[in-house]
Amino acid sequence: MADRDLEMLNDRDIGVGEDVIGDRPRRYQRRRPRNVVPDYVDWKDVDFLRNFIPERGKIMPRRISGVSAKDQRRIAQAIKRARSMALIPFVAD
Amino acid sequence: MANRTYEVMYIVDPETADEKIGKLNEAVGKLIEKEGGTVVRMDDIGRKRLAYPIQKKTEGYYVLFEIEGSGQEIAELERRMRVNDMIIRYLTVRVDEDRKAADRKREKRERRAEKRASFRPAPDSGASPAEARVDN
Repeated sequence: MADRDLEMLNDRDIGVGEDVIGDRPRRYQRRRPRNVVPDYVDWKDVDFLRNFIPERGKIMPRRISGVSAKDQRRIAQAIKRARSMALIPFVAD
Repeated sequence: MANRTYEVMYIVDPETADEKIGKLNEAVGKLIEKEGGTVVRMDDIGRKRLAYPIQKKTEGYYVLFEIEGSGQEIAELERRMRVNDMIIRYLTVRVDEDRKAADRKREKRERRAEKRASFRPAPDSGASPAEARVDN
């Protein structure tokens, strides 16, 4: 994990980047997708959707979830539907 | 009009008597048939804990319908659900297009896997990684 090795690859491959939020850039490390996203994202499949909901109940950003933009949109939509049917909380305490 | 497939889920007040819920479900089925739709699937999920309270209730009786039709019956059904105070929440989702897209995606993947297999004859007949993926 030497820095020199990391430089060889481009940032997209390794999943390391910087985000400028506020005055200081924040480093983040992208997680590899832990889940294969099914062809059809079912809003009733709570067990699957829970993979994308951390402790607080928010939708995990793409930067961290590591799924494609298209899949992220479908997952986000499904989570919102599940929320409105009280399958998933809006906020978890 | 082309046929569309919808999923309709609603939550019934858990304090309602079971036979009343049964009647309500029947009435929904009948309404759909009358308006020219067909009930593909009816799933009585039953009592479940709500993720957050709705109208001070912590439980709900979930029912799921899968309906095929033009969309007219959905409009009528939603109108009735809105005024029915047994139903505390409902949601309709059109699913046919997303399902078709999912099917196309799967087919494409299978075709690609076939092509790949024909180029590189596998020494052993083990499952290829594409086949091992989760479907649906």
